[in-house]
Amino acid sequence: MMQLLRFVALTIALVLATATAQGEKLVSTLSNEDISITSSFDGETLTLFGNAEPDTGSDQKFVEGPFHAIVVVTGPEADWVARRKSNVFGIWLNTEQVRFENFPSYFQVIASAKLTDITDAATLATERILPLTRAELSVEAGWWNSTVFANELVRLMTETGRYGIRENAVNFLSETAFSASVPLPSDVPNGRFLAHTYLFKDGKIVAEKSDGFLVRKTGFERFLGTAAVGYPLLYGLVCVMLALFTGWLGGVVFKR
Amino acid sequence: MQIYLPIAELSMNLFFLVGIGGAVGFLSGLFGVGGGFLLTPLLIFSGVPAPVAVASVTGQVVAASTSGALSHYRRGGIDLHLAMYLVLSGILGAFGGVATFGLLRAAGQLDLVISLGFLVLLGFVGTLMLVEAVRALMKRRAGIVVREKLPNQHNWVHGLPMRVRFKKSRLYISVLPVLVLGLCIGFIGSLLGIGGGFILVPALVYILRVPGNVVIGTSLLQLVAMMAATTILHAVQSQSVDIMLAFCLMVGGTIGAQFGASAGQYLRGDQLRFMLAVLILAVAIRFGVSLIVPPDDPFSMAIAGLRGVS
Repeated sequence: MMQLLRFVALTIALVLATATAQGEKLVSTLSNEDISITSSFDGETLTLFGNAEPDTGSDQKFVEGPFHAIVVVTGPEADWVARRKSNVFGIWLNTEQVRFENFPSYFQVIASAKLTDITDAATLATERILPLTRAELSVEAGWWNSTVFANELVRLMTETGRYGIRENAVNFLSETAFSASVPLPSDVPNGRFLAHTYLFKDGKIVAEKSDGFLVRKTGFERFLGTAAVGYPLLYGLVCVMLALFTGWLGGVVFKR
Repeated sequence: MQIYLPIAELSMNLFFLVGIGGAVGFLSGLFGVGGGFLLTPLLIFSGVPAPVAVASVTGQVVAASTSGALSHYRRGGIDLHLAMYLVLSGILGAFGGVATFGLLRAAGQLDLVISLGFLVLLGFVGTLMLVEAVRALMKRRAGIVVREKLPNQHNWVHGLPMRVRFKKSRLYISVLPVLVLGLCIGFIGSLLGIGGGFILVPALVYILRVPGNVVIGTSLLQLVAMMAATTILHAVQSQSVDIMLAFCLMVGGTIGAQFGASAGQYLRGDQLRFMLAVLILAVAIRFGVSLIVPPDDPFSMAIAGLRGVS
């Protein structure tokens, strides 16, 4: 009896193993993993290249499509507040605000087709592919207010170009190879970014891959940025010295 | 040509920045004011975050006022004793202003207070100046010889206790109104990112009766010292001074101020005051409109707290 059970378990395990051995694997790379912001930085476009391959240990020689890909690029998280103005005694002022903690400062969804054609709403929600799912609803503001303000925050982010959903923007170069451009606006937040790629087949996720990249000031800009935070007093003194010197020089040059 | 501003974390056109610095510098040289009240709103309207705009303009005001203060100093047009009292109380006021700035920023009401502050302050000063200038212009047209007000007439303010002798200004007055004036200018200036020259000069003339030959120089020195202190305070407290932004504005501002000063010699005092009053009122109205007209978008967003090092 025990032996029979063991045999059954072994067969099931074997069957499962061969089933997973037929899976797909995703390989991908970014055109630039270290984006440096210099004095002339005015936004940049990254390209992500991906390819669907047979999984390691699989006996398949090639994978069969058709595939779809969704790339979700998230930027560094920060605490954001959304505020609403209302009219108080004839003056428009901020009366309500809701704080969203650990909210990504950058969020782009790049897909190879319409999101709803690629997969169902449940998958989109559980994988947190849509920007709204990244807002942690604030307890103190209540469910309704949180939802309203989260929607508005996403809309405002979209207007500045930091957020976006680009459907039909992943180009399949062949059955399995694809590329996607990731736009970084000129006011891109500094920090660590993550490009998470999902490979879909028949509405199901068959493979995933994460690629990280870094956006940071380099050289003089980095020096200034760290000095302003690390040595604020010295930074302030240097600003004043610079101002006094510029003013003095102007007076000397023009002989007032 | 785009230039990246490391603290504002956005890139702007270099020529645009130097250009508005120059234009405002021209006006500040023309009217003998710091020009912060024009520059800060201009930057805010062109997309620089309000905290960065306010803090960086303080740096630009230092540069714009330095050359003027130096030339007045060489001519002996500065009452150092009076300036010392103004500066010390001004720095105290600036501490209060910068602290309030931080609190308002956290509460999300900074933009409102800046708008309201500009509206009330500029509206008030602009109206007073306009009335005075129009009166002077009309008198001139009617052929009446306008006599400058005698500076050494005393009023009740001078009779307060703790009298101090200011030799250069030929004044023997209570130190209290001087300190209160310095405190107010320091507070308002650091909160709104303006030098406050356009409040200080009339106050020195009409309240303290400081003689005309030392008013501008003393006011400029006070402006330099107080704005320098405010720049440092902003750098330490809110870390929102963008040195690149400030430098671009400084370069434009210093050059513009020289041309403005020489252009000012071809205009009469009452004409200058009239033009300045109209300009101040225009800025005030712009702020008033933004408060009253329903906003296109009632929602706004901001990053909460300080940003981390990247």
